[in-house]
Amino acid sequence: MRQAKKKETKGQLWREIQRHKSIYAILIIPLAYYILFKYVPIWNGQIAFKDYMALDGVLGSKWVGLDNFKAFVHSYYFWELIRNTLMYSVGKLIFCVPLSIILAIALYECVHPKLGKVVQTLAYLPHFLSWVIMYGILLALLAPGDGVVNDIIKMCGGKPIDFLTNTKAFPWIVILSDAWKEMGWSAIIFIAALMGIDPSLFEAAMVEGANSWQRVKYITLPSISSVIVIVVLLRLGTILDAGFNQIFMLYSTPVYSVGDIIDTWVYRQGLLEFQFGLATAVGLFKGAIGLLLIVASNKLVKRFGGSTLY
Amino acid sequence: MEKQKKQKLTSLKPKLTAVAVKPTAADRSFNIIVDVFLWVLLFIIAIPLWSTITLSFRPNDYIGTNLEGMFLPIWKWSTAAYKALLGNNGFVLAFGNSLKILVMGVATALLLTIPLAYVLSIKTLPGRKILNWLIIVPYVFNVGMIPSYLLVTSLGLQDHLAAVFLPVAVSTYNCLIMRSFFEGIPNELKESARIDGASEIQVLLRIILPLSKAIILTVGLFYGVSFWNDFFHAMLYLNKNDLQPLPILLRNILMASGMNEYVEVNAFGDAPISAIKAASVFMSAIPMVIAYPFIQKYFTKGTLLGSVKG
Amino acid sequence: MKKTLAIVLALAALLSPVFAQGTTETAAPQAEDKPVTIDLWYGAAITEAGPPPEDWAGYKIIKDKLNIDLKLTALPSNESDQDVKIQAAGAANNLPDLFMVRRDTLLRLVKQGLVAPVDDLYAKMPVRTKNHYDDASIKNTTISGHSYGLADPGSIAKNEGLLIRKDWLDKLGLAVPKTLDELYNVMVAFTTKDPDGNGKNDTYGYGAFQEINNYEEWPGRRLEPILGAFGVEGTWNMTEASAGLNVLKPEFFDAMTFIKKCQDAGVIDPNWLAYKKDDFRAAWKQGRFGIMREQNAAYAATANYAPFDKNFPNGEWIVIDPPVGTTGKSSVGPYTTNFRIYSISAKAAKEGKADKIAQLLEWMASDEGYYLLGWGVEGVNYTKNANGIPVADGVANKDLAFSAPQGQTVTQLRNMVFYNGDIELGSRYPTYKTATSGKTMSALVTLRDMQSRKWTAEIGADMLPTPNADLKRFYEQGLSEFITGKRQLTQENWNQWIDEFKKQGGQAWNDAGVKYAQDNNLLN
Repeated sequence: MRQAKKKETKGQLWREIQRHKSIYAILIIPLAYYILFKYVPIWNGQIAFKDYMALDGVLGSKWVGLDNFKAFVHSYYFWELIRNTLMYSVGKLIFCVPLSIILAIALYECVHPKLGKVVQTLAYLPHFLSWVIMYGILLALLAPGDGVVNDIIKMCGGKPIDFLTNTKAFPWIVILSDAWKEMGWSAIIFIAALMGIDPSLFEAAMVEGANSWQRVKYITLPSISSVIVIVVLLRLGTILDAGFNQIFMLYSTPVYSVGDIIDTWVYRQGLLEFQFGLATAVGLFKGAIGLLLIVASNKLVKRFGGSTLY
Repeated sequence: MEKQKKQKLTSLKPKLTAVAVKPTAADRSFNIIVDVFLWVLLFIIAIPLWSTITLSFRPNDYIGTNLEGMFLPIWKWSTAAYKALLGNNGFVLAFGNSLKILVMGVATALLLTIPLAYVLSIKTLPGRKILNWLIIVPYVFNVGMIPSYLLVTSLGLQDHLAAVFLPVAVSTYNCLIMRSFFEGIPNELKESARIDGASEIQVLLRIILPLSKAIILTVGLFYGVSFWNDFFHAMLYLNKNDLQPLPILLRNILMASGMNEYVEVNAFGDAPISAIKAASVFMSAIPMVIAYPFIQKYFTKGTLLGSVKG
Repeated sequence: MKKTLAIVLALAALLSPVFAQGTTETAAPQAEDKPVTIDLWYGAAITEAGPPPEDWAGYKIIKDKLNIDLKLTALPSNESDQDVKIQAAGAANNLPDLFMVRRDTLLRLVKQGLVAPVDDLYAKMPVRTKNHYDDASIKNTTISGHSYGLADPGSIAKNEGLLIRKDWLDKLGLAVPKTLDELYNVMVAFTTKDPDGNGKNDTYGYGAFQEINNYEEWPGRRLEPILGAFGVEGTWNMTEASAGLNVLKPEFFDAMTFIKKCQDAGVIDPNWLAYKKDDFRAAWKQGRFGIMREQNAAYAATANYAPFDKNFPNGEWIVIDPPVGTTGKSSVGPYTTNFRIYSISAKAAKEGKADKIAQLLEWMASDEGYYLLGWGVEGVNYTKNANGIPVADGVANKDLAFSAPQGQTVTQLRNMVFYNGDIELGSRYPTYKTATSGKTMSALVTLRDMQSRKWTAEIGADMLPTPNADLKRFYEQGLSEFITGKRQLTQENWNQWIDEFKKQGGQAWNDAGVKYAQDNNLLN
């Protein structure tokens, strides 16, 4: 009985493949590209297990097994790096995603088109500012001696706060400045999703007497839930990428204990010291964790009935 | 007549004319809170941007706090920083290189991403799960700079502009977002086209693409920004000075450090260095800032709705 | 279907120039008539000014005289970016023929076997070797018995000094401070007594920023005069008697206590921990603080002094001796000879290009090369004044003068020919009158003034072993936390931290450094 069913499904599978022949044809070039430019580097990534010598190349370098990984995990600062990295990426996730959703909905629901347009245009501008100039902006705002914010604090009789070199304040500065910079840009995808909602859904809700709050809760949010889920899932997959460019510009020795993340450590220890095996090993380490997270969160989403990543 | 219609600003949300409902107190409070939120956001975003703009126009002999500098009257502004940048020899050349990378990069990226996303969105495709995994794995396993560098140099792509965009021409994030939009297109449309005898490619071109203007432009914009701002790949792969794009030039300005001990000569005349930095950032953002409003126009509401009803 | 094909063809046409761009670079055959291609990655004099133009005179002369096709690439202006670019090229075994490299990076490249030894090239470049490569230079690039780079003289030694606002001293009726205590009192006065007389509480005593290199560790170069008062200037103590890391000496605790005192009292600009170099320089030009350690040209050269002069026509800085501590010690800081190293890739040597490169470098040291790369074409970019010093006046087109933005592009390679000779110094540091206040200034006079003060000789200190990244971070982070107050600076805490430091590899680092210094006769 089982054998017969197996044969049946096999035949069915072959028929399905035949039916979709032309779709596979579309797939050929992008897939070839993908294999070349994404998977060959993964093959090169084996240098994570080697003592990479440039003259020996990827294949000829000596195998050292897990030594590079051990060097990373046994670093004096390993747990601190993990803690800081997670603090920033989770913190940014918690702040930025809801804020950009709220912004998208606010722009969508705003009854004053001029206000909406102005805010929308301004909100995406900070995304174009590099972190080098952001550092300058933050310095002008937050410097202990003459920053604008501290000027105001002094005017109100308070003592100036050294935002950028204070270990208590620094994490907040990182998270909030990133939200400021990316909130508008991240909202773009949600706005596009909102504009795809069928208006007759709203009409039906209004007929049933729903007010604006209820409309948002029962129609708007659920309609864009699949996009929200994908965005969050993808961010979870790169949870160990906490924003190298930003931290690299903003951190300094007094805040190393809360500012040093995996990538800044890899930059100093790996890239600057020609330890490419180590740098690649950390990349694989991050990848393994990220993959675990994607699988786990995808399962979670499935359980709650949402649309999944794969 | 047509032109006038386009210029009138309308809210993002479609006006619901089918049902006339009196706004309740809850509705009014909702609108007020939306407005307040947007106004607060407006100030939070505008103030640091304004601070940077005034910084880029600050004259060399300005003494005073940064707070006061934000209120410097416009007749005291100096355009020295902008003049210095535009007069810089390499500026026009670098701008042109960036433009080339932008156009060719976005074209390549879309050419590869759209078919891939479309194929992934076909729920009945056998092997879909495998494909999805194939796409996600490299996204999470970011093996870092060196393995990718080894591949690109072995292909001999150094000193070709393609080296800047080809390795990153398909972003998993953008691909999956596009896929989720394609999934949202009702099957009846595709089926009716197939029944009429269209091939898969024709379905993609004639049915799917016209409906997906919003998402294609959005994703194109995402790609465009990352190519325009890319510094790292350009630094690694482009050695010839006449191939270097804008971010390299600007980064050299912004990050000039210890090596330049010929401090007695100033490459930029009498603009203060902080003004140069601020001005250079705005100049690099200009194309994107100009392009966005045009693209935004295409986020027409209810396009999908229109086709099904029709 | 036709439409699809049309689109695909159009895109293919669009993309084809992309793949056609760039010439294929392979080693030119060694036939006598074909020019040899030399790929040179150089450190630009002023990166942001742009590379030499296509019609630069140098290209033609080099091709005609030396049969070399020179391909120039400017390295990024930021040192870390330079390292990344060079090491990435190394990782792909793709290093250019001749390239500028920092010593730390060179050590790693040599370990990978990617750099060619150049021992036999010195004899092939007699003129250049006489001016550029003395024993210290060759020693600097000698690793395991062979020289792996050509170390040109870098910035001139002892070119910084302790500067103080004389007009502020005069206004407050204070004498020039000589001891550390006097310096502290002056710092307090500058902070609290409104020395610029504008009625606002906006001035500070000392100004600085964190400038760290491998022989001037935290707190960095700008605070060396203060460390010098305790005898702990520089990362290392290079005397025979007490060789080793300065941080392990008991006096270092006293120095930290003093710095903390300044920080707590607010007499050192509170922004100093957040500043980058440009911010620091902008700050003194805006009159934020009255005492600093600064470089002669960064202070006195025309373009740099002008904004300060415009803001404060009555402002005046003077160079003073470093403060003397309670034990009678003082120093502006440690000094060593600075080098700019150019290395030849092993690949280029294998292709037989080493001799050609030597020819190129020797030509650069000739009179023709020296003036062409240093200043440009006579009459177009410079003229010689009565003393034979090149100046920017008297040229036909002012925009092309070597100090004007457009003219700067032709002198980007000048640090391959300069060796701090008198002609260069005379040209770079002319005497001039300031625009606003009419003062006579000369960065050269300032330089000689600064060089005459008390410095600590630590030749070769930059060659001593460096700590690994984690230890370096432990060191810098710990010290800065003591200053910001995150850690309490008591003798007990300090001792505890030192013990932990030693355990984490600090002792090993200290011993490695002492051994290296002893083996190479670097101790005084």
